[in-house]
Amino acid sequence: MAIELVPQFVPDIFLSWYAPAVYTGFIVAFIGLMGIAIAKKDIHILILTDIVGLSMLVVVGATGTDLAEALILPGLVVELAEIMAISEILVSREMRKNNGSSSLLPLPIVSDMEIMTTAPNFLSLVLIGYGVFLTGFTGGAVAGAGILLYIFSKKSRGLPVLVIDGIGAVSGLAWCLWIVGFLLFFIAPEYWLLSLFMAACGLLLKVASKLGLIGTLMREEYKRE
Amino acid sequence: MIKMDITTLGGSLFGTIPLGDIVLYVTPFHLFMFATVIVFTCLIAISRTETQIEAKFKSLGNNAVSVGLAEFKIRRFLSIVCGLATAGAMITGDFFNFILFVALIGIVNIGIVSAVKQVDVLDAAFQYGLGAMISSLPLFSAGAMMLAATGTLSLFELANIATITPMMIFSAVLFLIGVAGETGIAPFFATKAEMFRTPGSPFLLIIHLSSLFITIRAIEIILIILT
Repeated sequence: MAIELVPQFVPDIFLSWYAPAVYTGFIVAFIGLMGIAIAKKDIHILILTDIVGLSMLVVVGATGTDLAEALILPGLVVELAEIMAISEILVSREMRKNNGSSSLLPLPIVSDMEIMTTAPNFLSLVLIGYGVFLTGFTGGAVAGAGILLYIFSKKSRGLPVLVIDGIGAVSGLAWCLWIVGFLLFFIAPEYWLLSLFMAACGLLLKVASKLGLIGTLMREEYKRE
Repeated sequence: MIKMDITTLGGSLFGTIPLGDIVLYVTPFHLFMFATVIVFTCLIAISRTETQIEAKFKSLGNNAVSVGLAEFKIRRFLSIVCGLATAGAMITGDFFNFILFVALIGIVNIGIVSAVKQVDVLDAAFQYGLGAMISSLPLFSAGAMMLAATGTLSLFELANIATITPMMIFSAVLFLIGVAGETGIAPFFATKAEMFRTPGSPFLLIIHLSSLFITIRAIEIILIILT
């Protein structure tokens, strides 16, 4: 029954890897759970819980089809969101206990390197060009890294609020483009090329502008001295 | 054994909504659950928080614990998200979408209580969060293993599969464990009620309500798959 599901061109060795991969995932999770049972401090328990969550990705990834790839990304996002929510709870509880307060990002750090004044123009141009050529999520990350590098290493600070808001708005609109493209896939599959390009370009703009926004915010924080 | 499929569990099939790979099906059971959750969500969206009155210990005074406006807004937003996720889980026709909705409800539940001031409540929420995160392993593994065992995630297709392989049974058991852990019911987390012993009542009730509805739908899904 299970063999009929798999197309003929898949090599046998891939099929034989499925069971070991699933066992690996469960064994890693079991080790993580034993660690949780032994650990005493809350922060250690939180970190060990992340190991259990990551072994979930191993089990999902073991399936290894296109659809399984579509399951991994939501799994990863859920995993990240949960660990952020729980650490937020932990921080707020410790704050409540101690009546103290601390900054979220312990900056500024001092770093003064020559490469940050000479190279960014060229490097970020290359990165953005290559990112636009790639499109999609990867391209967005590459182009975003270029924007981040450029903004982060520029000396002048005090960017007008309008620009920051503008970058945020571009990010939001690009997100809408991505969603519309994705929806079009389901509603009208015959326009797949259009929706593919809408999704890819929307994702490119979104990820790039979001990373650029991070660069802006970090620079504002970092150059404050 | 009685063969249970979509119509014996949910009443007559009104129709399907095909969205490419994902096929939603509409039965009276799902419509009723969906409408109920939507009505509750609307009630929560228009309601205001209560102010909790605590008697002071060793004196005759009262202590009013109220919710600030900023916290009120965040909590209302998260409650509406939780209600919509529950409604989505009621009507969905895809195994993995249901899993995602359950995981989203888990995150939002943590978010609703994350800003409260009582240390006890935060403690309970922290333990619940750890349980929810650990149980995301069986929950998502169930989806992946069901895909590996049957090649589909659509409940409409899964209901028509005649032979039940051991791997499907294992996957359904993992699914049950995952849903139980993520909604915080008995074998995993006995003190979920501690989480809503804090002011801001109508918003906190969605934590409880969503887990009740999710449990019912999860049992229906397991019956659809395994019988």
